[in-house]
Amino acid sequence: MIAKRADTESAKVDYRVIGKPLPRHDAWGKVYGETKYANDFKLPNMLYAKVLRSRYAAARLLSINTRDAEKLPGVVSVMTAKDVPNNETVTRFGQTHAVGGFEGLYRVLANKKIRFKGEAAVLVAAEKRDIAEKAMGLIKVEYEPLEGVFDPVAAMQPGAYQVGEDKSNIICSYKVRKGSIEEGFAHADVIVENTYQVPMVDHAYLEPESGVAWLDDDGVITIRAATQVIEHFRGVADVLGLPHNKVRVIAPMVGGGFGGKEDITVETYLALLVWKTGRPVSLTYTREESIIAHGKRHPYIMRYKTGATKDGKLVAMEAELISDAGGYVYLSPWVLLYSTVQATGPYDIAHVRVDTHTVLTNNTFCSANRGFGGPQPCFAYESQLDELAKQLNLSPLEIRKCNYLHTGDAMATGRVLEHRVETEQTAEKVLEALGPPSKPKSPPEKIGRGVASSMMSYGRMMFLHDTSRSFVSLDLDGSVTVRCGVQDIGGGQASSLAQIAAEILGVPLSDVNVYIGDSALTPLAGTTTATRQLYMSGNATLKAARVVRDNLLKKGAEILNTSPENLDLKDREIFIQNHRKDTLGLKKTDPECNVNYGGTRKAVVAVETCVDDDPDRVVALEDVVKACAAEGMPLFNVAQFNAPTRELIDFKTCQGKVFADFTFGTQAIEVSVDEETGKVTVLKIVSCYDVGQAINPLSAEGQLEGGALYGLGYGMMENVIMEKGITLSPTLAEYLIPTAVDAPDVETIMIESGGGVGPFGAKGIGEPSCVPTAPALANAVSDALGVRIYELPITPEKILRALGKI
Amino acid sequence: MMTYSIETNVNGRPRAAEVTARDTLLDVLRDHWDVFEVKNGCEQGDCGVCTVILSGKAVNACLTLAVQANGKDVVTVKGIGSPKEPHLLQTKFVEHGAIQCGFCTPGMLTSAKVLLDQNPKANRQEIREAIAGNLCRCTGYKKIVDAIEAAAAKPES
Amino acid sequence: MDNTEYLRPSNLKELSQIMAGHKDRATVIAGGTNLIPQMRNGGKSPELIVDIGDIQDFSFIMEDDGFISIGAATTIAEIASSDIVSTFSSILASSARELGNPLIRNRATIGGNLANASPCADTALPLLALDAVIRILSPGDKTRDVVLNNFFHGYRFTDLGKGEIITRIIFPKPDDETTGSQIKIGLRNAAAISVASIAVMLTMEGKICRKARIAAGSVAPIPMRVSRVEQLLENQEISTTLLEQCKAIMKKEISPISDIRGSAEYRSYVTAVILERNIQRALS
Repeated sequence: MIAKRADTESAKVDYRVIGKPLPRHDAWGKVYGETKYANDFKLPNMLYAKVLRSRYAAARLLSINTRDAEKLPGVVSVMTAKDVPNNETVTRFGQTHAVGGFEGLYRVLANKKIRFKGEAAVLVAAEKRDIAEKAMGLIKVEYEPLEGVFDPVAAMQPGAYQVGEDKSNIICSYKVRKGSIEEGFAHADVIVENTYQVPMVDHAYLEPESGVAWLDDDGVITIRAATQVIEHFRGVADVLGLPHNKVRVIAPMVGGGFGGKEDITVETYLALLVWKTGRPVSLTYTREESIIAHGKRHPYIMRYKTGATKDGKLVAMEAELISDAGGYVYLSPWVLLYSTVQATGPYDIAHVRVDTHTVLTNNTFCSANRGFGGPQPCFAYESQLDELAKQLNLSPLEIRKCNYLHTGDAMATGRVLEHRVETEQTAEKVLEALGPPSKPKSPPEKIGRGVASSMMSYGRMMFLHDTSRSFVSLDLDGSVTVRCGVQDIGGGQASSLAQIAAEILGVPLSDVNVYIGDSALTPLAGTTTATRQLYMSGNATLKAARVVRDNLLKKGAEILNTSPENLDLKDREIFIQNHRKDTLGLKKTDPECNVNYGGTRKAVVAVETCVDDDPDRVVALEDVVKACAAEGMPLFNVAQFNAPTRELIDFKTCQGKVFADFTFGTQAIEVSVDEETGKVTVLKIVSCYDVGQAINPLSAEGQLEGGALYGLGYGMMENVIMEKGITLSPTLAEYLIPTAVDAPDVETIMIESGGGVGPFGAKGIGEPSCVPTAPALANAVSDALGVRIYELPITPEKILRALGKI
Repeated sequence: MMTYSIETNVNGRPRAAEVTARDTLLDVLRDHWDVFEVKNGCEQGDCGVCTVILSGKAVNACLTLAVQANGKDVVTVKGIGSPKEPHLLQTKFVEHGAIQCGFCTPGMLTSAKVLLDQNPKANRQEIREAIAGNLCRCTGYKKIVDAIEAAAAKPES
Repeated sequence: MDNTEYLRPSNLKELSQIMAGHKDRATVIAGGTNLIPQMRNGGKSPELIVDIGDIQDFSFIMEDDGFISIGAATTIAEIASSDIVSTFSSILASSARELGNPLIRNRATIGGNLANASPCADTALPLLALDAVIRILSPGDKTRDVVLNNFFHGYRFTDLGKGEIITRIIFPKPDDETTGSQIKIGLRNAAAISVASIAVMLTMEGKICRKARIAAGSVAPIPMRVSRVEQLLENQEISTTLLEQCKAIMKKEISPISDIRGSAEYRSYVTAVILERNIQRALS
């Protein structure tokens, strides 16, 4: 069941816990139905909140009359913008470090110009949910509908309808310039120019946005919400005009994030109502609210012109990307920067000219979504490569091999890829794994295969000066506690930390407890975004655990009358190395070996004592711990990991190092296309990535498999259909994501080069795993039919149109 | 306001509530009885996180009126297995890494339980068809199918 | 305040009394998979919900005397897995299997599917092709039969009057010379509202088609029989030329709209494709 793991030439360390397909510690609570998500939570005296949202995508808000709603029995509070202490704040996109240049207006409740349909206008809190709903119907809002603008190209033109308060709707633009584009095209034997379009899509996490908030005994506003960012306590405090330490955010296990719970969702509304009423408040978005009113993936229009010489070498790439940011700025500038830096893909190109723009419109605002600006250009550059290959009579693999960046090469931004780059290997492996082509079942069916490679960063942009902290401690009996502000959105962010601590401290995984996601009680680890947590909080945990380990070895050395370098720590024992017969790791990966839940089954892990139990060479961990405690030697450590930093780049050239490292991978897809109905059946999907070191192979594979389906949905069926700012696909009956019968098993291959900057040489995988699926699908369909689809999703209708049948 | 008294057995435990005709079984499970393992993802039968077993059939609690459940047995994931007595499906889910965020897991296990009761030797295609009403956004379904297949291969514990 | 009433008769007699007294305000529920979402999004606000789910008389699948009868409150899941249905009306069985997803199918009923009268109603098409008849119970214990082909009057508007309930669906057992096929086009493989669908039943005598029933869904305000295509096929040998003519006529008979799932041209084109495909499958 374990994905094939390819050997690399680097020495493969066999760790005890790291790299083992162990069950996650949080898995049991989830299968027993015990895990309490954000709205599986009630408090006495709790109110239920609802949000009244704008009916128009573009309008002037003339008046709001809440009198009848306030009079309804059971309604406790109705709030509009005038009731918000600081209704407008400005986000400067730093975390610990203010970054100049981009400011995003965060407007809590609408009060001037409505900028998208679904913009929040009024908050209601009532004794019961249905009373709150009824109250919403009694609120009278007067609008003056305005013209609006819904197409980013139109919105860019001078004189276009002004979405916000600035004359221009263009939020920002970036440029990449390398070499001379004219010279490049002059040398090209073949030039391919196309325009690609990708739609607005939704995260479609199964858990809608939700939270419960209350005042604690000391009057601190405490918000327990499904969030990827507990650090929003600062933003919420700023809205309320409170000191930052008077707002606390707790993130329970989150039912999926994918970037959609990265911006503030329910937190401010809850805080305001708690602050106003003094009572606990619960708010959960309906699915319709989630699809209509919360941040989406940016639609892009991308014009690509790519030139190559007849041997397949890329000589020139010109790209213009226009991104539809929707009604508010949010994270658009950063999403665009990612797209800009990754616009050329994992390829070496002599002459490059990239111009990117992100533009306000009156559509639903767009912000973070898994891949963060990576998937959009990938669809374009991978499609372009296949078109060039076709014209040059080269195979998709051949043309890519001609152009892949390798370790030590420089990107178009001048940044040298100093860490391991294994893209070529991943491409070879997926094509090999596809095996011989399937045979079409009957005439209207055509078989096609496509491949696509990508590179995507992990870790935040370096000019944000990212940090993460983690606390590791041993109790007197040798049991381990990790406290870390990490938010777990399903990727095993918490359990990875447990594995790291267990490895370093030589204890079974079941001896480690992890407490996460509390801005007051756990050291802040930063956002669960940008595929950064394993890298950042993993390294922080590693650092903290090592300090504790060093103290243990120091004491152990005293007891064993040797020096710490001679000692090792495994299986709850400290011993002199080379005097122990065998490394007795965990016996097997049987989950019955682990503490099940509620301590009902003790770990039966094979902690076999050392064959050599000479007291001069071995001492039990528990004894060392007690000795440390007796002397006041600390057996805990809170460590901060600082990511390497760089200064802000010049956005007119985008030269320099923006990201610490990238994850490289390739996916291959085989499809069968029915030429008469346009229906695409996915026969095979293979995904191969260099993950550096899989901390938990089950988790890493899970990201590859899940990421491929996330990308496949983008390629095949997902589309938030908007018409003049109105969402026409507001439920999961219209907004389609793949079901269990829409795709085959994803075959996964992991390369572990050890070349990542995360703990144990790990790379991040959460977002990279979804980036190239859609272009791999597009390439497969093109291979099957001989015509290409330039717009996602690739629906049967689009195929039939491309074939000239409609 | 018209209310109705309903009585059901939830995981073998008698429960009663005063409900309106429009309250769904999902509303009552979560709001009246704190049965939080049954989740709310869409309220109209598109996602499957509210899957329960009603009189032996796997159904969406959001598409059942509470009054329709009167006198009937409701089984949730907690009635399928528990820390004291895990169901083989639960163990296999954990073993195979079939859980990421876990929000779809209770519903998924519930559909799987009914499948294996009716078709103990279900193959991968049958498994996929049986969980077609349970959306998962995290796993890509493969490990879920692996886990259910592994449970099908073993005789019932 | 929610004043919706709910009554759940346990037998026909009780049902009769309720409908007699409340015919103007009663909305019938069996499974509820359509009604409940409609109540939630404000489309429907029934004063009185009458639940027929307990009435055994409405839940059965029977074969007798040359007919197949299915109780209106029989679930789609029961229909999908019924031996009788798969033996005598495989197109009904296969349509049932493609309706929604397994969870929906455990609650949705055949009567509900027809009464809801969506132009996409999955069971309507095979039933139209099978010449089904609907038996309706009217207030005052009267019953009447309506040929399904005359049941759909307009978009979501049926022949059901106030207080009337579908009690069963009946269709003649097809003879040995009759075969059928159905195809549903959706945008994914499960839980997909159909974009276009067709069900076909053909009775052949040697190479001649004696009787043709063609039903189309999602391409008009109602699930419809395409009688002009049927007329073209009847008493003819089904040649490639004839099939092309059928496709051309079909496109004229249907009136698909453009919506978020597809354009009218796409629907029109693909309906013709699946018409041909269904006919070829029925013949093979």
